[in-house]
Amino acid sequence: MSNEAALIEAAKKGSATAFANLVHGYREGLLRFLVTRSSSYADAEDALQDTLINAYRYLHSYDSRWRFSTWLYRIAINNAARLRSADTVELGDLRDDESDPLAYCIAASDRENLWQCARRQLSDEVYTAMWLRYVEDMSVNDISAVLERSASWTKVNLMRGRKTLDAELNKDATDDKSKAYG
Amino acid sequence: MDKLAKQLREDADQIACNISPELDERIRASLHGITPKPVDKPGPASRPAAFWWASSLTGVAAAVAIIAVVNLQAPEPGPEAANSGAVPLILPTIKWNTETAVLTSPLEQEIEDLQSDLKKAEEAVRQDIDRLF
Repeated sequence: MSNEAALIEAAKKGSATAFANLVHGYREGLLRFLVTRSSSYADAEDALQDTLINAYRYLHSYDSRWRFSTWLYRIAINNAARLRSADTVELGDLRDDESDPLAYCIAASDRENLWQCARRQLSDEVYTAMWLRYVEDMSVNDISAVLERSASWTKVNLMRGRKTLDAELNKDATDDKSKAYG
Repeated sequence: MDKLAKQLREDADQIACNISPELDERIRASLHGITPKPVDKPGPASRPAAFWWASSLTGVAAAVAIIAVVNLQAPEPGPEAANSGAVPLILPTIKWNTETAVLTSPLEQEIEDLQSDLKKAEEAVRQDIDRLF
């Protein structure tokens, strides 16, 4: 039995310490994802806390055929969506550095962070699919399980997301060249 | 890893987030304050056999009573019922001046070309997707 499986078994029997150790390595990645999906940093922290509490409470429903991270992300996405449903601010409208938790967490750079651009241009689901693929290295099947979509839907929308961001990346490169040539 | 994937990874790494000691404490405290739901939920207590006999007999008795009441209250058909709806409905016939459309060869050719283009586009998209994922 792997270390993760042993921790899951111990946590299922009621060991909060085992669960805390189990999720320790996932917390930062989850918070980073939630920061990009929340309208404030405090909301992202609340969503992370709710995610971990729900995961612990409903650990008996975890199906070991899936990766544990897949299951955690499914819960995190639901929590982020629930917090945002009560919020009137659209994520794409967050432009100024003070109110946008994503802009707040990004180091100053001379070009826009692609994830800010993605948040503005892609739908919630496509954005999440892109994040899970290119940041969390999830397979298409795992992404489909997290989003509760078919594998073909995931493939097609990853492709669309790529095209949109590729165009944005190339536009930036063209702008840089224009500036260089005056 | 292609250029876009590399850039996406780098840009994600630039998002600096860390779990503050306060948040860590908050999470640990809340985890210790809850108990996970049990794996196997105990089912409802089984009912005695007499309960099932009693409920079955009650159901049969209720069905018999309803059938009896419905049959007793059913009205007898009156003489006017035989004549109702006897008025024939005459609809005027409309003569349509229509001709069967025949596709001329340029149009057929156009459709074939469009279908061929569509197949080519589908194939190109499928190849792109297979190449990437």
